Amino acid sequence: MPGTNTVRILDGNTFVVSEDTGDIEATPSEPTGLFSLDTRYLSKWVLTVNGERLNALSYDDLQYYEARFFLVPGMATHYVDAKLSIIRERAVGGSFRETLTILNHDEKPVDLEIRMDAGSDFADLFQVKDEILNKKGELYSEAESDRLRLGYRRGNFKRETVVSANQPARYDRKGFAWSIHLEPNEQWDVLIDVQTFAIGPGGRDLRMGLRAHGTERLALQHDLEEWIDRAPKVNSEHGRVAATYRRSLVDLAALRFSPLSLGGQTLPAAGLPWFMTMFGRDSILTCLQVLPFAPEMSKTTLRILAALQGTRFDDFRDEDPGRILHEMRYGETAAFEEQPHSPYYGSVDATPLFVVLLDEYEKWSGDVALVRELERECRAALKWIDDYADLIGNGYIWYERRNTDTGLENQCWKDSWDSISYADGTLPPFPRASCEVQGYAYDAKMRAARMAREFWGDPAYADQLEREAAELKARFNRDWWVSDGGFYALALDPEGRQCDVLSSNIGHLLWSGIVDDERAPMIAKHLVGPRLWSGWGVRTLAEGEVRYNPIGYHNGTIWPFDNSFVAWGLRRYGFAEEAATVANGILDAATYFDGRLPEAFGGYQRDLTKFPVEYPTACSPQAWSTGAPLLLIRTMLGLEPHEGHLAVDPRLPVGMGRIEVLDIPGRWGRVDAFARGRLDLHKLGD
Amino acid sequence: MVDMTTRFFEDLDRRGFEPLLVKTSGTLRFDLHEGAQTTHWLLEIDRGNLRVRQEDGEADTVVGTEPRLFAELVGGEENAIAALLRGDMTVVGDLRLVLQVERVFPGPPNSRGPHHTFQRRAA
Repeated sequence: MPGTNTVRILDGNTFVVSEDTGDIEATPSEPTGLFSLDTRYLSKWVLTVNGERLNALSYDDLQYYEARFFLVPGMATHYVDAKLSIIRERAVGGSFRETLTILNHDEKPVDLEIRMDAGSDFADLFQVKDEILNKKGELYSEAESDRLRLGYRRGNFKRETVVSANQPARYDRKGFAWSIHLEPNEQWDVLIDVQTFAIGPGGRDLRMGLRAHGTERLALQHDLEEWIDRAPKVNSEHGRVAATYRRSLVDLAALRFSPLSLGGQTLPAAGLPWFMTMFGRDSILTCLQVLPFAPEMSKTTLRILAALQGTRFDDFRDEDPGRILHEMRYGETAAFEEQPHSPYYGSVDATPLFVVLLDEYEKWSGDVALVRELERECRAALKWIDDYADLIGNGYIWYERRNTDTGLENQCWKDSWDSISYADGTLPPFPRASCEVQGYAYDAKMRAARMAREFWGDPAYADQLEREAAELKARFNRDWWVSDGGFYALALDPEGRQCDVLSSNIGHLLWSGIVDDERAPMIAKHLVGPRLWSGWGVRTLAEGEVRYNPIGYHNGTIWPFDNSFVAWGLRRYGFAEEAATVANGILDAATYFDGRLPEAFGGYQRDLTKFPVEYPTACSPQAWSTGAPLLLIRTMLGLEPHEGHLAVDPRLPVGMGRIEVLDIPGRWGRVDAFARGRLDLHKLGD
Repeated sequence: MVDMTTRFFEDLDRRGFEPLLVKTSGTLRFDLHEGAQTTHWLLEIDRGNLRVRQEDGEADTVVGTEPRLFAELVGGEENAIAALLRGDMTVVGDLRLVLQVERVFPGPPNSRGPHHTFQRRAA
């Protein structure tokens, strides 16, 4: 992962990761570059003046799509002789554009050789952290009179980077240069344009006509302003929550992604920089988080996922009829089937969550037409749960990858190899069933029953779904309850043995409603109890478990997204104070990250570290971390669509002061919600 | 012997309706190039109703491939989205139509699906 001094700008799935000078010199440990369509189009982009590298005085990432660098010649260790300054301004939006401005502050004229070294390894995003030694195709570089063409060809697969400038330059195969003369106080500017191409045999680009908005800087700015304008306004007494909300809203705009097949509409991509693509799970959960603030994202997400729903058995892609996709990629490894992402279907939660999102979206928007439009896909998803996901035949969703080379072992959100274990730390065999997915299945059936009864005109199906859901709930409460611990097991193995560790997943069970009422207080107590609760958030795995590690990816870190659903679940069962505790902890943590919550941070006790320790390789911004503050605001304010109206039932901690959310869109038009902090959280646990 | 491609289109035409395409309307032309020779198949979709003609007509989307690859696509041995990313299949016009029709193609003949995995284990 790039170090902290890298600068990232993006638009859709085109993005630039560079050093703080604006230079790009990609290595496996510094995977910088210009990326688009999961391919690196520039791996070298180094500016020199008279053969000298430049030193950064400062940089600004002005907006998510533009950045500015102030530079002087010479390295940092030298005395900075500021007779010359160089400003690099860059933006992405369709192409990558960079404006160089050189200013001569000397009393004497100067002659300068300005050079940009440019090159590309055309690495697939999956290869950027490896030494690229054995590309199967051919790299080429062609210097023309007015442009530099860098390319990669493998059969009909062709990717090209074309660099040109508005000042005549000398192009060679490794870059381009200008010789300029500057009088005292004279200024010189050049605009460099870098176009990326994914060319088919007909010479046509794969992406033609697929832009969500104009790609000119002004169009991007206009689009962002419109996006912010359309969203509800959040004001808070201490400004803290409002600032986090605004940061989240801008990041959410940046993470909008227009897949090739959606004709310019957008859905949330999973995260920058390595996950600027469509993920079933991440996109759905983000949509659920942001529904009160940006409901239109749900509509496009549901439509695209429906349009790509599985239709057949494909063992390489782990595809089944009715299954919702996991991940789509556009790079070389997907194209040549070295990776299965065309698309890959190996997740078991996206399918039930698809049904959950459709119902939740209708409750907010009143968009009955979409519920009718997606009836067939919902039925197919529910059929998948019963017919294809139940590998053991005992009424649960199980997973075992069929693609044993490149498929995912763990097909739940905690998808790292060691995330599912028994209390003794050993890993269970496959197939596995993780608990939260059973909750999602329960919720999907209950919600589909409502849709069947109210909109599909099929009360018999509704009755059947409710019966199945009730049976699932009874079965689940019997088979997964760890009685000596007073919680639900993380997973079951194929023999029905419990992975009896205490994990954050039990919070998702509250959200889904599968928890028996009399057991809910025990679950709530665990979530804010000393083993799971760090003071900042709920740990993925409880302290005291064999595999617990405060910086273990899914074995002890705190995930803001996870916590936002935990808080929602607590609120669902009436644990408003516990929900506010979780919301307060995560929103406190957000202030340490300037309102931009990372994917995960360390599970260390709050009074030990005093600040949240960022997980070393966390992606940021990441969609569902960006969505977390929005869901937490919803949870604290108790925003709930109720019989066509928006119910507001705020339960805020005292320190939070007054919060107002204005113009919440929905079937009610637009309404405002106000709240004042009244809960004394210190009383909790007494 | 009738080749895979002909069988595929004749089957679509005979069925006349495909539930997976009820939300799809539009015309696709498949241009199968082999040297100087091009075979055309025109598929009209009207909310799931299908009509196939073997002719070079106007279309919303034109798909170009070699006949051998196309036969492998409709036989399930090759995947259309990967072929598109690879540049082995070209699309001019509305890409969404191709992505919808692609879902009608079968999976790989050697793919067994989920139940089999477990039943083998249980046996």
